Amino acid sequence: MKVLGIDTSGYANAIGVVDGNRILADFTFEARKDSLEKIVANIDFVLREAKLSLEDIQGFGVGLGPGSWTGIRVGVTVGKIFAFSTNKPIWGVPTLEVLAYDARNIPGVICPIINTGAGETVYAAFYRTRDGTVSRTGEYYVGDIQGLAEMVKEPTVFVGAEAQAYRQLISRTLSSSDIRTEAVEGMPRGATVALLAAIHLERGENDNVLSLAPLYLKESTAKAFVNRYSRIAQAKGQV
Amino acid sequence: MLVLGIETSCDETSASLVADGKVMLSNIIATQLDLHQKYGGVVPEIAARRHTELIGYVIEEALDFAGKTLAEIEAVAVTSKQGLIGCLLVGVAAAKSLSYTLRIPLIGVHHIEGHIFANLLSNLQIPMPHICLTVSGGHTMLVYVQDYCQYELLGSTLDDAAGEAFDKIAKFLGLGFPGGPVIDKLATRGNRKAFCFPRPLLRANTLDFSFSGLKTAIINTFKHRIADGEVLPLEDIAASFQEAVVDVLVAKTLRAASQRKALAISVTGGVSANRRLREVFLDTCQQEAIEVFFPELSLCTDNAAMIAAAGYARLKQGKADDLNLDVVPNVPLEVQGGS
Repeated sequence: MKVLGIDTSGYANAIGVVDGNRILADFTFEARKDSLEKIVANIDFVLREAKLSLEDIQGFGVGLGPGSWTGIRVGVTVGKIFAFSTNKPIWGVPTLEVLAYDARNIPGVICPIINTGAGETVYAAFYRTRDGTVSRTGEYYVGDIQGLAEMVKEPTVFVGAEAQAYRQLISRTLSSSDIRTEAVEGMPRGATVALLAAIHLERGENDNVLSLAPLYLKESTAKAFVNRYSRIAQAKGQV
Repeated sequence: MLVLGIETSCDETSASLVADGKVMLSNIIATQLDLHQKYGGVVPEIAARRHTELIGYVIEEALDFAGKTLAEIEAVAVTSKQGLIGCLLVGVAAAKSLSYTLRIPLIGVHHIEGHIFANLLSNLQIPMPHICLTVSGGHTMLVYVQDYCQYELLGSTLDDAAGEAFDKIAKFLGLGFPGGPVIDKLATRGNRKAFCFPRPLLRANTLDFSFSGLKTAIINTFKHRIADGEVLPLEDIAASFQEAVVDVLVAKTLRAASQRKALAISVTGGVSANRRLREVFLDTCQQEAIEVFFPELSLCTDNAAMIAAAGYARLKQGKADDLNLDVVPNVPLEVQGGS
């Protein structure tokens, strides 16, 4: 099954095409100020390079985030509208899983980390690899590196654009123990999104083309503020 | 020619089908008012999230309501200029996707140009050239409409938009958000001459507007009385405030029409739904023997039908865009008209 995969969670346009488990094309256009305005033109470029037309594509994969909120909105919207208007299925893939999947042949625990762009806070999750697949072992993590370090209990490979820097911060915390850590730097790839989507789409699983939504992992700042305010007011008996 | 319009520049997610720039077959508007009310204004991040959730649904609904299929759409028009950047990007991403997958022309429309067309869509007989006052919570502008897609910006607000002044006064008086409808309603029971509030720039030799001084004057007049727990004459304040805004809007628009020897006046945007504004415009324009036009109420606030109508006119003039269409949150209309 030929699947087009895209991820714009870091503004960069990651676009790939696979046929089942075979990669036909994999391009990443670096993040620029106007990246999110270029995604559809870049998809056209990749399809042309791969000598494919839109009619050849049988399904779509899209990186859901977490990452830049504006970035994932554009990626998910493009994925949904492509699927809706071509009447083909779509599968949304968490971007943390995309990063982990590229390390699927490393045995053990994989921890993808994505910068939230807000201070020291990161998005992360732990995955276990087995037979070339990855499965998430707990909840998604949103918090500081210190808190993430406390969750590291066994040898772990950190992946992501800044994996090396994060590994150094974490290994400082772990210095008293002898837990071995490694880092593999990499960005979410369009072909990996497509590979993961193809696995599900080939099984007949698909997401709703109209309701598919980004994976923000954090509520908007305004909402968080109001919720906190109303909790305080409740605590004071002011409601 | 069947054009799909998409509008996501602020807090309405909208899609519409318009035939030949004249016949509105559907105009689906998913308002987010309930989401923003508790914050006392539109929160951009919340609005952008909602657009992403709703965009596919409103497009499907616009097709279903019109009894059309995707294959019948011949062009897609989208608001790409003037608005909240994160919100504009969602609509533009959807429009580019449709343009590419359906192989149809893409047209980017300036939000203000959309409002001008809201009235042209409601009143096909509006003569050219005319003066358009477009006034809402986001903008207050006087535009000389030479012809379709040929504009000259004559004046705009130097600070708050007129609708923004309604919102801020309503918030100050504890009347909630949005302020326009609630002040309009309260004012019908108030005395317009109870208070003489300032009419900023009314006599100045400019077609620009200013509303922040009016807002400050009202707040300074009443803040101590509110602090003292006094019950304020809300109806009279609402009526007197509204009268000050209406006086300025009507006087400046008529001055512009006279200066440019315009054949008619078009009033559009969210504030054009205000009943007192319509009443004073109708009275004054009758005295001055100049025609005045208002859009039907569903086309006053943000909607995609006006974007489809503007997109059709631009396409007819060869002003289609391509997949590299830029999203620009803040750009004057005149640059657009000259392109």
